[in-house]
Amino acid sequence: MRTTFIKTLTERAVSDESIYVVSGDAGFGVFEDYKALYPGRYINSGIAEANATGYAAGMAMAGFNVFVYNIIPFVLYRCFEQVRNDICYQRLPVTLVGIGAGLTYAPGGMTHYSVEDLSLCLALPNLTVISPADGIETRAAVDYAVQSEAPVYIRIAKSGEPVMKDVRENGILSPGVIRDGEGIAVVAYGSIVAEAVQAADRLKDSGIRPKIVSLPTIQPLDMESLDAVLSNTEHVIVLEEHFRHGGLYTRLLERFSEAGISRRIYPMAIPNRFIHAIRNQAGMRQMFGIDSDSVIKKIKEISKIIG
Amino acid sequence: MMQLRLQQTLRERAANIRITLLDMARRSKSAHVGSSLSIVDILAYLYFNKLMFDGEPADSPFKDRFILSKGHGAMALYATLHEKGLLSKEAIDGYMQDKGTLPAHLDKLTSSHIEVSAGSLGHGLPMGLGLAHGLKKKGIPGRVYVLMGDGEIQEGSVWEAAMMAPALGVDNLTAIIDFNNLQGYGRPTEIMHFHNLDEKWEAFGWKAVIADGHDFQSMEKAFALTEKAEGPSAVIMKTTKGKGVSFMEDELKWHYFIVTDEMFEQARTEILAGD
Repeated sequence: MRTTFIKTLTERAVSDESIYVVSGDAGFGVFEDYKALYPGRYINSGIAEANATGYAAGMAMAGFNVFVYNIIPFVLYRCFEQVRNDICYQRLPVTLVGIGAGLTYAPGGMTHYSVEDLSLCLALPNLTVISPADGIETRAAVDYAVQSEAPVYIRIAKSGEPVMKDVRENGILSPGVIRDGEGIAVVAYGSIVAEAVQAADRLKDSGIRPKIVSLPTIQPLDMESLDAVLSNTEHVIVLEEHFRHGGLYTRLLERFSEAGISRRIYPMAIPNRFIHAIRNQAGMRQMFGIDSDSVIKKIKEISKIIG
Repeated sequence: MMQLRLQQTLRERAANIRITLLDMARRSKSAHVGSSLSIVDILAYLYFNKLMFDGEPADSPFKDRFILSKGHGAMALYATLHEKGLLSKEAIDGYMQDKGTLPAHLDKLTSSHIEVSAGSLGHGLPMGLGLAHGLKKKGIPGRVYVLMGDGEIQEGSVWEAAMMAPALGVDNLTAIIDFNNLQGYGRPTEIMHFHNLDEKWEAFGWKAVIADGHDFQSMEKAFALTEKAEGPSAVIMKTTKGKGVSFMEDELKWHYFIVTDEMFEQARTEILAGD
């Protein structure tokens, strides 16, 4: 995803001369080509995130299309008030590109995880929130952000994620069906979509056909399309590499309730507790019950109930 | 040497601005009266003698940009924009009223002449730095002025921007510090190690000048020096909180107190007599 992000941005920077990158002392091995091509349109703003965020807002006020790049705690947490007041409140064209979504950096330690970023972002009006599952969605997310006149947050993992499906019919702002199915759906975002896809593929011979839905854009939620995509699935698992409270599960519960949608929703997410375990990302997913094995187990359980 | 007539004109403008803002405070029972009075002379100087205006039509943006980072001094900016003819009487009358026109802290959607939304301290200088750098990169002439409170510069973000600005060569950025030595609940010089402010800014690579924030000649000299600087510049304005109204001057309580009708009349009499 990281490679696709910079490749896409570098391509778009040819025609959009206002594209400007602010990197908070991050991006080794990412920005070298971009910097060589557009030396006046990149800055390392140092280890000073409040300033970097305000500076990005100021550059946007001067007419630049600004992309701030850093690991998620440093694009959102450290400088949350700058994101809120300087960028979102003033509705400036700044894209926050956060890397290390979820448990990407495990076992890097809690300071480097981002398992509550959606809780923060979903509280910010004017902010479009996109968490791509793979390179295809990352490219579409960057394309969207380049033309957006309002703030965007793109939550990416790292590099080397498998492509889930070559074509997405609905565009980045809407849910995409990665594996068609019926009865049970798994809705997910970010690199963990891969776990759901694996589960569906491994269930192929069992007669159970879960529908796997990637929902890259969490804000604004395209409820109409989601409802249509889920029309033949009464049971919906929300799979997240994020805290259970304050992520997509709670948001969907709220939206389904408001819309009078009676589907059953099941959370598969990380409990809201600081993480002290020293496991790699796969081990963490297993431990928190959000890996493909756990998804298969959950689907079989639900399947048994519905017969 | 600044012409005496110009000084007199600026004094008259400042007096009008003070009366407008005190009237706003009286009608809205608003706090931050002292904080606003403190910067009136600086704003009068900037808006009536300094900021380059883009000319006709009257609502076009300034070539120079002014960011009021101490957003709680909003009344002073509203009253100055009104005096300049850029903010209507209706807008002023609706200040801090239910279903009104202007909030206590700045919201840029309320007027095209308000450069940034502000109210939380320490945001203006980083934004001003980005704006100054962006304008420079685009070859757009004009200077960015960022007015901060003295208490405000305790915020770390101010020094993050201070450290970065000289590296960007932004000779079009001027920070102004309203050094009235009174913050929300004490004196900065007693709460912090607040001495040698000019040396602090100089150490960060800025050109720093000290001026009297109630003396137009002093300001004139200071701004002339900053314009010659090769990088960013800071003007530390020695000011008095509550300036212009005897019973408000250098009084902490006028960060909070409200203006009664009687107080307003007394203040207006004093201001008109002093003018």
